Amino acid sequence: MRTRGLALALSILLAALGVQRGEAAGAPALFAAAQARAGRAVFEHKCAMCHGRRLQGLSGPALKGPLFASRKAGYTVRDIFLFLSVNMPAYAPGSLSAEQYVSVMSFLLQQNGFPAGRVALTAQAAATSTVALRYHGPAGRRGQHDRRASDCAAPGARAPSAGRTAPRRCKPLAAGAAGSARRVDAARSRPGAPERLR
Amino acid sequence: MTIIHVFSRRRLWPLALLAATLAPAAALAAGYPQVTGARLAAAATDNGWLMFRRDYAGNSYAPFRQIDTANVKDLRLVWSYRSHLKEGYEGTPIVNGDYMFITTPKDHVIALNAVTGKVLWKYEKSLAGVALKTVCCDVVNRGVALYGNDVYLATLDNYVVALNAETGRVVWQRQIKPADVGYAMTLAPMTLKGMVIVGESGGEYGARDFIVALDARTGRELWRRYTIPAPGHLGGNTWPKGMYKHGGGSAWITGTYDPSTNTLFWGVGNPGPWLAKLRPGKNLFTDSLLALHPRSGKIKWYYQYTPHDSWDYDGVNTPVITNLRYHGRQYRAVVEANRNGWFYAIDRLNGKLIYAVRFTRATSVAGFRNGKPYTDNALRPTLTKQVFTCPSFLGGKNWWPISVDPLTHMAYVPTIHTCMTMKGAPTFYKAGLPYLGETFKVVHDPDDRNWGALQAINLDTGGQAWDHESALPWDAGAMSTAGGVVFSGSARGHLYAFDARTGRVLWRSPQLSSGIIAPPSTYIVDGKQYVAILAGWGGGTPIWGGQMVESVSNIPRGGHLYVFALP
Ligand code: HEC
Repeated sequence: MRTRGLALALSILLAALGVQRGEAAGAPALFAAAQARAGRAVFEHKCAMCHGRRLQGLSGPALKGPLFASRKAGYTVRDIFLFLSVNMPAYAPGSLSAEQYVSVMSFLLQQNGFPAGRVALTAQAAATSTVALRYHGPAGRRGQHDRRASDCAAPGARAPSAGRTAPRRCKPLAAGAAGSARRVDAARSRPGAPERLR
Repeated sequence: MTIIHVFSRRRLWPLALLAATLAPAAALAAGYPQVTGARLAAAATDNGWLMFRRDYAGNSYAPFRQIDTANVKDLRLVWSYRSHLKEGYEGTPIVNGDYMFITTPKDHVIALNAVTGKVLWKYEKSLAGVALKTVCCDVVNRGVALYGNDVYLATLDNYVVALNAETGRVVWQRQIKPADVGYAMTLAPMTLKGMVIVGESGGEYGARDFIVALDARTGRELWRRYTIPAPGHLGGNTWPKGMYKHGGGSAWITGTYDPSTNTLFWGVGNPGPWLAKLRPGKNLFTDSLLALHPRSGKIKWYYQYTPHDSWDYDGVNTPVITNLRYHGRQYRAVVEANRNGWFYAIDRLNGKLIYAVRFTRATSVAGFRNGKPYTDNALRPTLTKQVFTCPSFLGGKNWWPISVDPLTHMAYVPTIHTCMTMKGAPTFYKAGLPYLGETFKVVHDPDDRNWGALQAINLDTGGQAWDHESALPWDAGAMSTAGGVVFSGSARGHLYAFDARTGRVLWRSPQLSSGIIAPPSTYIVDGKQYVAILAGWGGGTPIWGGQMVESVSNIPRGGHLYVFALP
């Protein structure tokens, strides 16, 4: 009860500050809803036995939540996609089709609070995306996300509390070695608006 | 399937808990027998089971004769204990006096009365905030070490924890590396000369691994031996520039100690990344046996089992200290059944090879010249070439400890029969992610439709003495006793007793509640000999086992300690 009240107060506060639902999460839409649905099926057949049906982690680590998609770990979509499409499932690495890997990646994004959009994720886009993989709250409820999930802070921002390391300064994401794909800055993209990664 | 329940643990649970909360005074009165350096040195003949492989030599051999080849068939379950965690159980039950200590997945320790099974205390390492990202082969723990009045645990988040043996209270704890950035610990620590010695895992994650000795009383670090040398150190020139920083070389299995030469032996795991093309050179001291000064961690000598490894052939199997006679000459040896499929006997005075024989199909390491192994370079994968080679990266044997019986002069070796396809793949180093550079699939040995075996190797010839084949992989450690019996557990969940000389099955327990991947232990309290085993399927095989996975996918999960004795 109390937490719900608190959440309500928080959302009123955020609304008052002009922070719209989802915007604070800053999670770009990288995949189409149908892909995440297909990805769930792939996940249940090929991944859940080790990572858990709820992605909570069993013999393999959790693939959802603030411990998986953390600032500390610092993963980008590309890191995780390149890893899982080459090395997973562990008993038969690389054995799924490109389409299956893309859909399971979409499912992981969705489960970590990324919104679906109108444009489908492609293998090329996933393999080059430098979007920070952060947990943006439970899928479909992005309004109440974990604010610490953002990976950089505006110039002049203070460290949140003693003992914690100060967040990195925000800077425009540099074009990386991967070449021509357009980088999407998580902090700038509009929620719900599909991002075309090329 | 028959599942035995002598009594329902569930019903006894509240009672046991109540007893545990009321009992400390009684437990204290009974008195915890102090574990002195002298007792550890004589652990081979102790009535308990004081350390990982029973004694410093690593024989997993007990001089007990009460249970023998004639009466082993009469073994009965005396008590059991069920744990609620469903991941793999790889721990050896450690026993001192009538205190038993077991560990579970995710670093719980439970102290029990070794005769009655009464729970004395429980300790759960808090893993809150730990993602367990860089743990390759299940979130296992292989048991505790004892010294003084303390019990030592090495954890998945890289703590060494000292607990009071009577209360389970933390005496000290020390984190030797952050969690989730490539390092984790699963091994049973070793206590030696007032030190607690542990080794790090991380060969799949670009770690630079090490063995570290802490002061057993305070946790203060005494020495640290990196298994991957920096430039300018012995072996440093066997790595391309900068690659040593993520060179792997995990030290994830407890070593052994030889008092006659004052040498600490420790095995070192595979290089990182797996794809050898990316790191030209011998890549010392990966896949090697290190002979160390126990007081400083300095290297006396090393022997590399697999040079420039591209197949994940961790050299971390327990190096067992024993003497043998080969071609008429007597040797003080250290022997080991290696991941690469060869059984090695090495002179423990100088690190020279005495002999090496294949104990399963082995093609990557093709033979030996001047006492050093050479590899078949046609079987090295590249980004464009897929190879087929044997054994698979899971090994001819994985970590499961062998046992060496001084009476039969045989080594009892858990074995798997696998080969694999392997091909290079792109990789990049990122803290927290695997660093492999290869894809692979474990498949059958084309000439052997069984996945596993327990076999006996004659130490004086290297020849096979007997072989017990198994359709399923044999993923459990072995133990031998003076009663002429070898014990080991099967994936189907039976504890087996074999005739040490012939391999004949003398007894098989009823089917336990899960498959076995742990080694058994044995102990005597009040003149009665017991045999303890943890059932609890899991570990590396169901994760990385390729074609093997299907054969083991129906094995029920869950942890269960069983203690047997004669009526
Ligand atoms: C047989 C067990 C198993 C299966 C099946 C499996 N994984 Fe994994 N996975 C693991 C293990 C173990 C790890 C830990 C890293 C390692 O050693 O590779 C892991 C790591 C990962 C990681 C990295 C997590 C991190 O935080 O570093 C991702 C992402 C992942 N798996 C995705 C998948 C996906 C997607 C599938 C299904 C297509 C899958 N896995 C199937 C066992 C499995």
